[in-house]
Amino acid sequence: MFFQQLFNGITIGATYSLVAVGFSIVYSVLELVNFAHGSFYVMAGYLVITMYSFMVLPYPIALLAALIITSALGASMNQFLLEPIRKKTSSGESVMTATLGVSTFILNLVMVLYGSETKPFPNPVDFGKFYVGSVIMKWNQVIIAAAAVIMIIVMSIIIYKTKIGSGMRAIAQDVSAAKLMGVNTELVITFSFFTGILCAAIAGLLVAMYYGSIDTTMYLGVSMKTFAAALLGGIGSLPGAALGGVIIGVLEAFVAGYISADWKDCISFVVLILVLLFRPSGLFGHKEIKKV
Amino acid sequence: MAYLQIEDLQVNYGAIKAVQGVSFSVEQGEIVTLIGANGAGKTSIMNTVAGLIKPAAGTITFGGTDITGRKAYSIVKNGLTLCPEGRKIFPRFTTYENLKMGGYTTTPEVINRGIERAAELFPRLKERFDQVAGTLSGGEQQMLAVGRALMSEPKLLMLDEPSLGLAPIVVQELFECFTKINKEGTTILLVEQNASMALDISHRGYVVENGKINLSGTGKELANNDKVREAYLGGL
Repeated sequence: MFFQQLFNGITIGATYSLVAVGFSIVYSVLELVNFAHGSFYVMAGYLVITMYSFMVLPYPIALLAALIITSALGASMNQFLLEPIRKKTSSGESVMTATLGVSTFILNLVMVLYGSETKPFPNPVDFGKFYVGSVIMKWNQVIIAAAAVIMIIVMSIIIYKTKIGSGMRAIAQDVSAAKLMGVNTELVITFSFFTGILCAAIAGLLVAMYYGSIDTTMYLGVSMKTFAAALLGGIGSLPGAALGGVIIGVLEAFVAGYISADWKDCISFVVLILVLLFRPSGLFGHKEIKKV
Repeated sequence: MAYLQIEDLQVNYGAIKAVQGVSFSVEQGEIVTLIGANGAGKTSIMNTVAGLIKPAAGTITFGGTDITGRKAYSIVKNGLTLCPEGRKIFPRFTTYENLKMGGYTTTPEVINRGIERAAELFPRLKERFDQVAGTLSGGEQQMLAVGRALMSEPKLLMLDEPSLGLAPIVVQELFECFTKINKEGTTILLVEQNASMALDISHRGYVVENGKINLSGTGKELANNDKVREAYLGGL
C-alpha cells in the first residue's frame, strides 16, 4: 500500500512538477503570476481531440500539432496582448489581470465548443503493466513520469546552459541591464512564454492520457496544485518547482490512500497555507540581497 | 560629422520635458563629460543614446549611421555601450557570469579576451570571480560594471555617474582606469557630478542645466570657468 501510493504519487507529481516548472519559467523572468497557464494545459487536450477524433489526423501528429499550436498561442498572448500592456503601464497587476481574462476566455470558448461534460481522451497506446514486489506499475505511468522528467531536464539545460537561457536569467534580475548587454528582451520574453506553456501543454496531454478523459474543471485543480508546488519549492526556482510538484503529488496519493479520495484535492491548499505561514520563501527560495 | 553627433534631442516623460533640445558631439578618441546638477537630464540623455528610451524629437548619429530610436540591443551591436547609473550588475550572477553576460552579443573568443582584460584592469575583481556579485563592495561592483560594459569591446563607452557613492580612493583608481581605456582606443562619454575629477581627465565638456546645454569648452576651460566653479566645484 505504502509503496503503491508512493509510486502513484510520484507519477502524477511529476506532471505537476512539469506544469510548475513552466509556470516558474515565466514567473522568474517577469515576476508574473500567469493565470492563463492552467488554461493552456486544458487547451492542448481539446486540440488533440479536435485533430484526432474530428479531423482524423494520425495520433502522433495530433499530439505534436496540439503542443506547437498551444505554445505558439501562449507566445502570441505575450507578444500581442501582454507586451503592449507592459509598454503602456509599468503596473504588473494590469498584466496579471489580462492573463486572468485570457484564461476565462479560453475556458469558456472550450465550453462553448465542446460542452462542459467530461470528454473521453483517446489513448491508442496501452502497454499493460508489470509488478515490482507488490507494487503494480503501468507502463503508461512510467512513460508519463519519464516524459515529465526528460522535459524538466531539457528545460534546465535551456535555462542554465544556453545563451538565450542566460538572457532569461539576466532579465529576471534586471530588465534594463539585460537590454544594455545586448539582449533582445522582447524576443527572449516571448520565448519564455513559449517554453513555459509548452511544459504546461505536455503535462496536460500526459495527464489526459493517464486518466483517459478531460474536462474544463482540470483548470482549477492544476492551477492550485502547481501554484502550491511552485510556492513550496520557492517561487521562481525551477528545481524548487520540480521538487514541490513531486511532494504535492505524493502527499495527494497518501491522503487518497490512507484518508479518503475526497480529501485529495484539499492537500495542496493545506500545503499552500502552511508554506505561507512558516516559510514564505519556500524550500529553495532566494532571499534578495540588496546593496544600496 | 562628428563620431557621435546628437542634434536637438528632446526626451519627455509624459508631460515632463526632461531634455529640451540638446545638441553635442563626441569625436573619436575623446573623453567628453556632461556635468550638471541632479535632475538636469544627464541620465535621460545617456539612456536615450543607449536606446532604453525613445526620444520625442532629434537625431542621434554614431559613426555615420542614424541610430535614433533603435532598440538597445541593436545599439550595443553597433559598438556603443552604456555602463548605467547605479551599476545595475546582476546580483545573483557571479562576477564571472556578469562579465560573460557583457559579451552577450559577441563570440567566445571575444569573451575570453574581455575576461582577461577585466582581470588585468581590475586585479581585485579577479579574486572575486566566483563570488555572487550582490555581495561585492560598492567599489568592486562599479569595477565589475565597467568591466562588463567593456566585454562587448565598444567603440564608444558611456559611463553614467561611475563615482556615485564610492570612496575617493576608489574613484581615483577608476578614473585612472578610464584614462587608460581611452588611451587604448575607446572613446568615452562620461556623466559626472564629481565635476573636478571628470573635467580633469576630459578633453572636452558640456554643462547641462534644466534639460539644456548652457556651456561647453575644453576640460581646462570649464574647470577654470567662474560659473562652473561656483556651481559645481564648490567655489574652490
